[in-house]
Amino acid sequence: MSQVATTAEPARWLERYGDELYRFALGRVTDAATAEELVQDTLVSALGALTSFRGQASERTWLFAILKRKVIDHYRRQARSPFIPLDLSPEQAPEAEFFRPADGHWRPEHYPTDWAADEASSRSDAALEQREFQAVLQGCQQRLAPQHLAVFVLRFVEEQPAVLICQELGLSSANYWVIIHRAKLYLRRCLEKNWFRPPAPPHS
Amino acid sequence: MPISSPLFNCQQATLLIERRADEALPLKTQVQLWAHLRLCPLCRRYAVQSVFIARQAQAAVDYRVPADVVLPAAARQRIQQALDQHSAE
Repeated sequence: MSQVATTAEPARWLERYGDELYRFALGRVTDAATAEELVQDTLVSALGALTSFRGQASERTWLFAILKRKVIDHYRRQARSPFIPLDLSPEQAPEAEFFRPADGHWRPEHYPTDWAADEASSRSDAALEQREFQAVLQGCQQRLAPQHLAVFVLRFVEEQPAVLICQELGLSSANYWVIIHRAKLYLRRCLEKNWFRPPAPPHS
Repeated sequence: MPISSPLFNCQQATLLIERRADEALPLKTQVQLWAHLRLCPLCRRYAVQSVFIARQAQAAVDYRVPADVVLPAAARQRIQQALDQHSAE
């Protein structure tokens, strides 16, 4: 048994880092229960791996690195859930919802509208607006299929490289791009509907 | 997928917009995409909005959780128990 160089103090982890780890996790997953679970997994894993902590990093940095890994594992499990097979066949292609299959042109009902104009006209309290916008974005993200959500979060929130995401989720790079594209198409439409152009009252 | 040139195809062009954010496209493809974007205001909009969405998704981790949120007491207790159990093993 080798003695660790810098002292890790597991007995004080929860008190010292509990809230911070929890907030970190909560910002990355959709619900509190999952965030709590991730904090627990992180600390239990850390305890089991105490000998690998040699004090090169601070105890705090080390714990956050483990949590980050747990978040990735969480999305990998979700994306690999056997109950939702990934269907990339052209007949099922969701792209046909947005583009005419014949020539790949945008369907008129899905023409992207000009967001900048809408945004500028409604900008009052920037911070408040940012929070409200984030709530809408989160709602839209939650409506993505699990694989789409996993790829989107790993790429854009966790900022993992494409190669690593393909590896983790067992995707070919072609499938990876199709998923990124679809996720963006769905999110773009969802944001447009729910933030930039809230549904207008029905015309008479 | 039966898609030929991205020159006049918005589906293909928007897919390439996503790809080019991560990797260099072949020169010929770059030129075709550039030409498409010059001709297509809809895909130009998509390109701007796509970057906007990516930026907002990154910002999300800081905005979604107020700084005064704490680990709920029940969870804290449960986690402490799990840790105690593991320490004892």
